[in-house]
Amino acid sequence: MVKSPIRAISKYFLLLAMLTVMVFPLAWMFRVALMPVGSSVSFDALFESALTLDAFRALFAGTNTLKYLFNSIVVGVVVVLGNILFCFMTAYGLARFKSIINKPLFISVIIVLMIPSHILIIPLYLLSFKVGIYDTIWALILPWLVNPIGIFLVKQYIENLPTSMEEAARIDGASEFRILFQIVMPLCKPALAVLAIQVFFTNWNSFLFPYILTSKDSLKTLPVGLAHLQGHQAIDWQQLMAGSSLAVLPVLILFVIMQRHIVSGITAGAIKQ
Amino acid sequence: MNRSLTKVLGFALPWSLTFLFVWLFPLVYALVMGFTDYNLLRPDEAKWVGFQNYSTLLADPDFINAIKNTFIFVLGTIPATTIMALIMALLVNRSFKGRGLFRSAYFLPSITSLVVISLIFTNLYQRGGYIAQLASMIGITVPEYGFLYDNATALYSIMAMDVWMSVGYYMLIFLAGLKSIPDELYEVAEISGVGYFRKLFSITLPLLKPVALFILVINTIKSFQVFVEIFVMSKGKFDTMTMVYFIYEKGFTTTLQSGYASAAAYILFIIIAVFSIIQFFLLRRKEPLW
Repeated sequence: MVKSPIRAISKYFLLLAMLTVMVFPLAWMFRVALMPVGSSVSFDALFESALTLDAFRALFAGTNTLKYLFNSIVVGVVVVLGNILFCFMTAYGLARFKSIINKPLFISVIIVLMIPSHILIIPLYLLSFKVGIYDTIWALILPWLVNPIGIFLVKQYIENLPTSMEEAARIDGASEFRILFQIVMPLCKPALAVLAIQVFFTNWNSFLFPYILTSKDSLKTLPVGLAHLQGHQAIDWQQLMAGSSLAVLPVLILFVIMQRHIVSGITAGAIKQ
Repeated sequence: MNRSLTKVLGFALPWSLTFLFVWLFPLVYALVMGFTDYNLLRPDEAKWVGFQNYSTLLADPDFINAIKNTFIFVLGTIPATTIMALIMALLVNRSFKGRGLFRSAYFLPSITSLVVISLIFTNLYQRGGYIAQLASMIGITVPEYGFLYDNATALYSIMAMDVWMSVGYYMLIFLAGLKSIPDELYEVAEISGVGYFRKLFSITLPLLKPVALFILVINTIKSFQVFVEIFVMSKGKFDTMTMVYFIYEKGFTTTLQSGYASAAAYILFIIIAVFSIIQFFLLRRKEPLW
């Protein structure tokens, strides 16, 4: 579509300049992670420094980073599964049955969408103490098992599905649970995939609440662990960037595999009208 | 009728519990605590103090400074992010070779952990770090201990990182908005021989207004809560104290004044609520806004 070659060339030039700016910091992270431990991290080191996995070895030997990684994975998987199940159940109830409670429930979803969660750090911290989940793995899981955006997304999706299959199953005497899990859930796969990815990314990168609600080193997730390692004298930039790479790689791989779902997840939340 | 009520209640039970315990109760709890002198060190001695926390806060120079920094952060990053996201979206909207690669690369920082990004930029901004070296090459004086250890540059350095990080996300939302503009409009314009900039200003930008508005408001709500960057990069020092960092510091470190911090949280909540309500009404309007 671009007519003159000068315009095309300058457009590519601009695109490439932006590409460099956007990608460089992440590339720098991987590059520093592969530098020899203890060497100076400087301007010249980008090309001159050797490539080695020393930093990863030192990190695994000297710190709990593998435990942090393990915690992040466990919490991520459980929270994603919880959200798939509970967002789907809530959305199905709201989309398929009419009752006086539907409107209040839907309003609660909208209200939570608008509450800035950061203002709740103090009451949630105190509450986690009172109910006894402070500094346990449950503090990282229980509060986040269902989320309003997920309910919203799946509810919209179910409302656009035909009801004929459910009605047929109901006439044949199928139980509500069979209808839910064997008929409606498989039809919702695309929406649930989007939900799963969104929840996984949010959870994987979340810092403030895991940091506030736990204190044991053995319960730290990767972002909390990395922020903790930053303050240590014995941890140099190479190790810190090696740990950071571990936090970025899974996201990068998922992104490459499931790009389309990610993009539609973001725009589904944004463009409703 | 009653049967569907029990069904809805059953299906929505996990959500109802989450809503009550994770959102509603803490929200009310924080409001009540904001009127007491609750302190984590002696929780049993808490007593009602009325609006005292609020009046102390509004006279607390640290809190006023935190409000000021938060507004600098919000008002500084959002126009830059929005305009750059729009330019990016316009550049990668039409199909050309390598478009997918550019889109993905621009979006990548949006799905990277904020802690990781903050660590990377702490390294890049430090004395002798990459950005510091580049800056001195083009004649910018780098503060003696790097960009993050100077009152004049720390907050702005963090803001620059924030723009870099979030621009790709809003680019994607702009792209979705661009996709919803009917092609016929451009075809008609092309038949009448209208140039690129005329099309941009008469078709594209006016039709993107609802999306731009949406972006402005969600970004405002998000930016008012800036915390992780400050926690990792400066710990609120060098004039980078923001409102959430203030709440964290008062509530969780040194003095453990939960009541005082809760009152601060509610002031932030009210500021954000004003923007949320504006968002709600603007998005409900059917006709274009301007």
